[in-house]
Amino acid sequence: MPQAERICSASSIIEFCQFARKNGLSNGVQQTLAALEAANAIGLADRQVLASALRAVLSSSKEEWDLFTRIFELFLSTSQSTSGPDSKEGNERRFNAHRPRASSRALIGLSGSDASQTESGGKSVTGASIQQNLQKVDLADVPNDDLLALEQISMRLFRKMSLRLSRRCKIKNLAERVDVRRTIRRSIPRGGDPIVLAFRGRKPRKHKLVLFLDVSGSMNSYSLFLVRFAFALQKYFKSVNTFLFSTNVVEITDLLRTRDLLDALRGLSQRAAGWAGGTKIGDSLRDFNRQHGRRLLSPGTVFIILSDGWDTGEPELLAAELRDTRRRVRELIWLNPLLGLEEYAPVTRGMSAALPHVDVFAAAHNLESLLALERYL
Amino acid sequence: MATSPQINDVDDLIRRFDLLGYVTDRALATAVYLVIKLGKPLLIEGHAGLGKTEVAKVLASMVGTRLIRLQCYEGLDVNSAVYEWNYQKQLLAIKMEGKIERTVEEKEKHIFSKEFLLERPLLQSILAEEASPVLLIDEIDRADEAFEAFLLELLSDFQITVPEMGTIKAKHLPYVILTSNRTRELSDALKRRCLYHWIDYPSYEKEMKIVRVRLPGIEEELGSQVVRFVQAVRQLDLAKPPGVTETLDCAQSAMSLGKHRLDIQTVEETLGCVAKSMEDGNKLRAAGIDKMLS
Repeated sequence: MPQAERICSASSIIEFCQFARKNGLSNGVQQTLAALEAANAIGLADRQVLASALRAVLSSSKEEWDLFTRIFELFLSTSQSTSGPDSKEGNERRFNAHRPRASSRALIGLSGSDASQTESGGKSVTGASIQQNLQKVDLADVPNDDLLALEQISMRLFRKMSLRLSRRCKIKNLAERVDVRRTIRRSIPRGGDPIVLAFRGRKPRKHKLVLFLDVSGSMNSYSLFLVRFAFALQKYFKSVNTFLFSTNVVEITDLLRTRDLLDALRGLSQRAAGWAGGTKIGDSLRDFNRQHGRRLLSPGTVFIILSDGWDTGEPELLAAELRDTRRRVRELIWLNPLLGLEEYAPVTRGMSAALPHVDVFAAAHNLESLLALERYL
Repeated sequence: MATSPQINDVDDLIRRFDLLGYVTDRALATAVYLVIKLGKPLLIEGHAGLGKTEVAKVLASMVGTRLIRLQCYEGLDVNSAVYEWNYQKQLLAIKMEGKIERTVEEKEKHIFSKEFLLERPLLQSILAEEASPVLLIDEIDRADEAFEAFLLELLSDFQITVPEMGTIKAKHLPYVILTSNRTRELSDALKRRCLYHWIDYPSYEKEMKIVRVRLPGIEEELGSQVVRFVQAVRQLDLAKPPGVTETLDCAQSAMSLGKHRLDIQTVEETLGCVAKSMEDGNKLRAAGIDKMLS
């Protein structure tokens, strides 16, 4: 039996480990060594047991666990045919099917030079007071020339805010409890009398932040600034998870985990697909709760939704899902750029259904309003 | 390994687990077998109530050693996981030794000796004298990342450093089982050090076998009804789908109520066994209990 023979030697196990790595498992050299040890301990007679053993050694998450069976089958089947470099490439293609390159250039609109939309109605800002002025300009109205300046200012301000937040925490919690261990240590030279007490401050408890960004057309420029906001806040928060939604939900957390924001934004444009169509906040939120709720929502989570509240879905669903989310998090914040307009009142069906379940309802149309969020974080 | 008990192969392990009342499949048995043979930790993930914790207990009684359990929670720190000094005793000792002529160093050495050390689970597992204990680190996903990072040292070298005493190395490597409910992603470094097993909901046959083993007195008809019902409930989109524990609870309650078969009334009375929140209960009723019973 050619298959059995193929998996029956050390070299073939090494070969399989490499094959698995190429096809999406994250195993390294250590795992290869462990696989050899495992094969040695198990013996090679029973292929089913050998497969389970290799699976236990090589996979490290549910996803990899599920993937393994397919990889194993594939390995056995390709071994029968000629295993030249061509056929291997073919297999790779089957697993690492390229993500469809999305058309949504609009998502990195800020770095692109899409003159057509940015020209409209923005007042050009120059001079020494550029920072003060830019802070107040509506993000959607920023003229193209000033974007770069605004981006830089925003990053600087956001970072400062992040630092301020973490300092505030430390000072508040100083000297909370007596540290018995260090007190005793200090008491030894004094014959055991704890004259000088040592205190232990509580470690500042970091919260998790989940961002839920509306990326339907009208929201683009706002969303991107909030992504920046999130990016800068990563230092302060224990973890920041970011999701984009319009009619469906896409997680972009991994993209933001780089040091270079531009890289992240570039990756973002490739990730998002099919943003056309209306906004279904309720449906998106339900999908989020199902898929990620258990992992991300906890009493230490701050949940921020950025949306203008124009919802084409059912308001009842939105209200129910918001209630569900609200119960599981520390704080639910809804940012609405339209709140910056003087004549705006939150009377749309979606918005009025949502309001009872929201802790903080705030504007997010310019830098100033984003910085004002510090109070709630 | 000299300390490993005589377990010949995977089938042998399945049989022994069976005798101890734990029904297992070959995949899990293989993983546990490798824990014994390779001395690597095993990370078991899966939904709640599928017997993750039980694996460690059964393993401990199979190898005939002590089970040391560390339940993780948010804010778990080294003091409650590894060791703590016995402060009261230390203070007393300092007082009593006040009269004795000794240098400060000698005194310090004395009050930071083993006599004053409170061993917490992780240190206990390292200090075991006779044989390898089973160390169960339960619900590791609840502890924070800092603790996870600390575990790395323990799991790769099986040694613990107490600043005042030095490094303590394990005489017998413990068998380590970690469980996680996947409420958060664990770090890659930790996962890389562990074998991995995903526990899924059991098939009908396996679940029946579990019911028969765990509830010896149950009537076949009732048992199979309960299992089919719970399996149907799992297909619904509940917030907390029932695990095997819930199956057993449900069957046990029906038995205690003196029922011979599961009808709508019985399900209503024991709904709390299967649906663990009001919403889930309503969803279950909306889906039609009678349909799921047929």
